Amino acid sequence: MDEDMIRLESVSKVYREGRIEVPALSDVSLKINKGEFAAVSGPSGSGKTTLLNLIGALDVPTGGKIWLEGKDLSALDRTALSQIRRDRIGFVFQAYNLIAVLTAFENAEFVMAIQGVPAAERRDRTTAILRDVGLGGLEGRRPDELSGGQQQRVAIARAMVTGPAVVLADEPTANLDSHTADSLLDMMEELNRKRGVTFLFSTHDPRVMERARRIIRLRDGRLDSDEITKQD
Amino acid sequence: MALRNLGRNKTRTGITVFSMAFAGFTMILYMSLVAGFFQTLEDNTIGLDLGEFQMHAKGYRSDPDLYKRIEDPASVIRTASERGFNASARLYGYGLAAFGNSSAGVMLRGVDLENEPKVTRISGSVMEGSWLDRADPKGVVVGKKLARTLGLKPGDELVLVSQASDGSMANDLYKVRGVLKTVGEVVDQAGFLMSDDEFRRLLVVPTGAHEVAMTRRNKDVPLDAATAEASKAFPGLEVRNWKQLQPILARMMDMMGTSVKMVIMIAYSAVGMIILNAMLMNVFERIREFGVMKALGVSPARIFLLITAEALLSAFFASVAAAGLGAPAALHYQRHGLDLEMLTTSMNVSGMALDPTLHFRLTPAALGMPIFFMFALVVVATLYPAMKAAVIRPVEALHHQ
Repeated sequence: MDEDMIRLESVSKVYREGRIEVPALSDVSLKINKGEFAAVSGPSGSGKTTLLNLIGALDVPTGGKIWLEGKDLSALDRTALSQIRRDRIGFVFQAYNLIAVLTAFENAEFVMAIQGVPAAERRDRTTAILRDVGLGGLEGRRPDELSGGQQQRVAIARAMVTGPAVVLADEPTANLDSHTADSLLDMMEELNRKRGVTFLFSTHDPRVMERARRIIRLRDGRLDSDEITKQD
Repeated sequence: MALRNLGRNKTRTGITVFSMAFAGFTMILYMSLVAGFFQTLEDNTIGLDLGEFQMHAKGYRSDPDLYKRIEDPASVIRTASERGFNASARLYGYGLAAFGNSSAGVMLRGVDLENEPKVTRISGSVMEGSWLDRADPKGVVVGKKLARTLGLKPGDELVLVSQASDGSMANDLYKVRGVLKTVGEVVDQAGFLMSDDEFRRLLVVPTGAHEVAMTRRNKDVPLDAATAEASKAFPGLEVRNWKQLQPILARMMDMMGTSVKMVIMIAYSAVGMIILNAMLMNVFERIREFGVMKALGVSPARIFLLITAEALLSAFFASVAAAGLGAPAALHYQRHGLDLEMLTTSMNVSGMALDPTLHFRLTPAALGMPIFFMFALVVVATLYPAMKAAVIRPVEALHHQ
């Protein structure tokens, strides 16, 4: 139990659109251990993004329970959930989702700023991580002055710089060319190995699935298969 | 960050700030105008005619009778002076003035020429000719409208007929020394001012006075306290302050603050709609970004504060512009006045005169209240959009198109 990073028990999610109920996840139970590099795969509409949203406390399940580092997310209020997202989770979105008015540097340090990390420490850590993701010299650019790959690197830097327990990456390579995607995956793998950060991707990109050491497959909102593809 | 967000849509921010600034500018001018208007009214009411206090023999005000007089006005003036008041005695009577083929009823006022200038500014309020002079006992000063009714100008001779206190016919020939500026409705229409000596001789009133007008030498003493002090000093007389003498005017002034606040709120409500609309658009356009921020761990309270800070920054810029333009404009009209002569030659409120040139008065309230209300309005108009952004679930915000 101590090794559980994430635990889901009979989790389901139903979206309501007027009178119509659309089940997105049904009775999903699984565990993700600390330090895993796992991918959630499945066709469009299989519930991958919904699963990541629920694990990331961005949404609440209709049924079942989710624990993150042993904490029952359903027992926490909005502010406590905000703190969990801020301090324990790093998000990488498919659409990058950088803040338009902030520079690459400011976007990368954003979470540390709201954590209250002192400015000098923020500067050092942000400079280092931007260099690590290959964005040294581009710190002052705004998102609209960066390519898609560069924006995704900023998003990864933002997700990683605080040293989260888990990084949830939703289709992180979907909008990237092969070279950029490989380079980002290399970087995430290295972070996983060096720092023990747990990674959970939603993807149907074969490049990601090739790197993942565990692949969880969803179909029509249900757990279809869960296999360890590589041993650490 | 709030500052940068304002720069995202410069046109919208510009329109919002301009609307707020224009409303603030207008309200600063309006409040300065109202403050100046009432200050002028108060100054004229007290300074040209009433004085701050008036004392009469008991029953005189309800029945102004030539025989109801303050017995020893000299002693009253002396006592008043010892208690910190400037005082001047007045005598009143009524008669008929005739000039050429015209005649008009007049209110005679016998003026204490030495003391009246210590109480009112009426001696300096002569529009044509000059003020009364003891060396010219037959010289009189008449009200502005009376002069127009009879066609009088300085130098004209007119006949006055009245009844003296001994029952005899009082009549004499007088020469117009001066015509007064606007003072007040009664003085303008019927004022016939002469020296107290001449009044006593004409109407055979050797002693006493009908009225003693007074003002405080120390304006820091509250009006009500001074009234109580005078009442105590002169128990046999009826003492009233100007607010009691002109209750409608006093009530209007008391209500000024409330009515001005209402006007500000009405004017600002339109601006409030613009702010609300701009803030709603601002929030809805960025709802996805708020979702990202919430996903990254920004608390609802911080989202709320960010949006409120953006609105308050707009209000700050608008306030600087409103005060930067409004204060100099108000000060200009405070110094030079706004001339309404083209619209009217004289104005009066509740019988009290106002010069058609309105002098603004830039008070701390005239400058501060519009700005305070602007900030209050911004906070109120921002509440809904800020709350909406603060409470939206991150996943909904992230999927917002």
